[in-house]
Amino acid sequence: MTRQRPLGLGTHIFVSDADAAVAFYSEAFGAAELIRHRLPDGRVLFVELAVGPDKLLLSEEIAELNALSPSSLGGSPVLLLLELDDVDGTFAHAVEMGGAVEMPVAEMFWGERYGIVRDPFGHHWALCTRREQLAPDEVADRVPAGPTEGSWKGD
Amino acid sequence: MYRVPVSSASGAPALTTAGFQVLLALASGRSHGYAVMGFVDQLTDGRVRLGPGTLYRTLARLVADELVSESGATDPTAPHDARRRYYELTPLGAQVVREEADLLARLVEAANNAGLLDRNRRTP
Repeated sequence: MTRQRPLGLGTHIFVSDADAAVAFYSEAFGAAELIRHRLPDGRVLFVELAVGPDKLLLSEEIAELNALSPSSLGGSPVLLLLELDDVDGTFAHAVEMGGAVEMPVAEMFWGERYGIVRDPFGHHWALCTRREQLAPDEVADRVPAGPTEGSWKGD
Repeated sequence: MYRVPVSSASGAPALTTAGFQVLLALASGRSHGYAVMGFVDQLTDGRVRLGPGTLYRTLARLVADELVSESGATDPTAPHDARRRYYELTPLGAQVVREEADLLARLVEAANNAGLLDRNRRTP
């Protein structure tokens, strides 16, 4: 066998404060803590969270291993996609709890209601819900001329 | 971009394969983790082995979803060892495992009609 088919793909994020992050993700996004391991000095090595049918690994940043969180790096280029039934309610609640609006919730040309919130630890969450079942060609026909036009910017 | 969410008629979260197998093991009554692992191993002729890590994660998830509850005392020397604890179905868990079994039965019936089952398992 020359190419292996992977058995899975997971997400592992780093945060400045694991306890606060687990509390936020549990309250804002319904995450459930499954497993937690600590280093001998008390720092959280990792927490395994169940988020819907998927898992999210979370670690506290360990500067000496160059495992840094968005707070130390000055941002994150990654979007965590979270599919929900109620985007608006979850979005509003996440903002109430200290999240920052990166992109307000709006109908998107690809058939989703969608918005981006930055959590207090610097990770970006795209909250979405399906509105229409579109074939790929239908989405292609609807792509706006540029990212500053149409539904990219919201209403 | 997204998966089709599969939700049960009761609105409870969709089960993973391991989740269904654990609920099935508990359907006949309260049991501890070792018995759950043994049940699944026997039922599947060893093709499915729930290791202690998978067992713990699966049970923790089922408890968080209120499909299973822990019953009785936890061994203080091994608080994260699901093999040593007792678990039982909640009323919601009992309903969800019944619905999932019904759905699977319909799929197996379709497989039977399509001639996909071993001869000795086929129903006429």
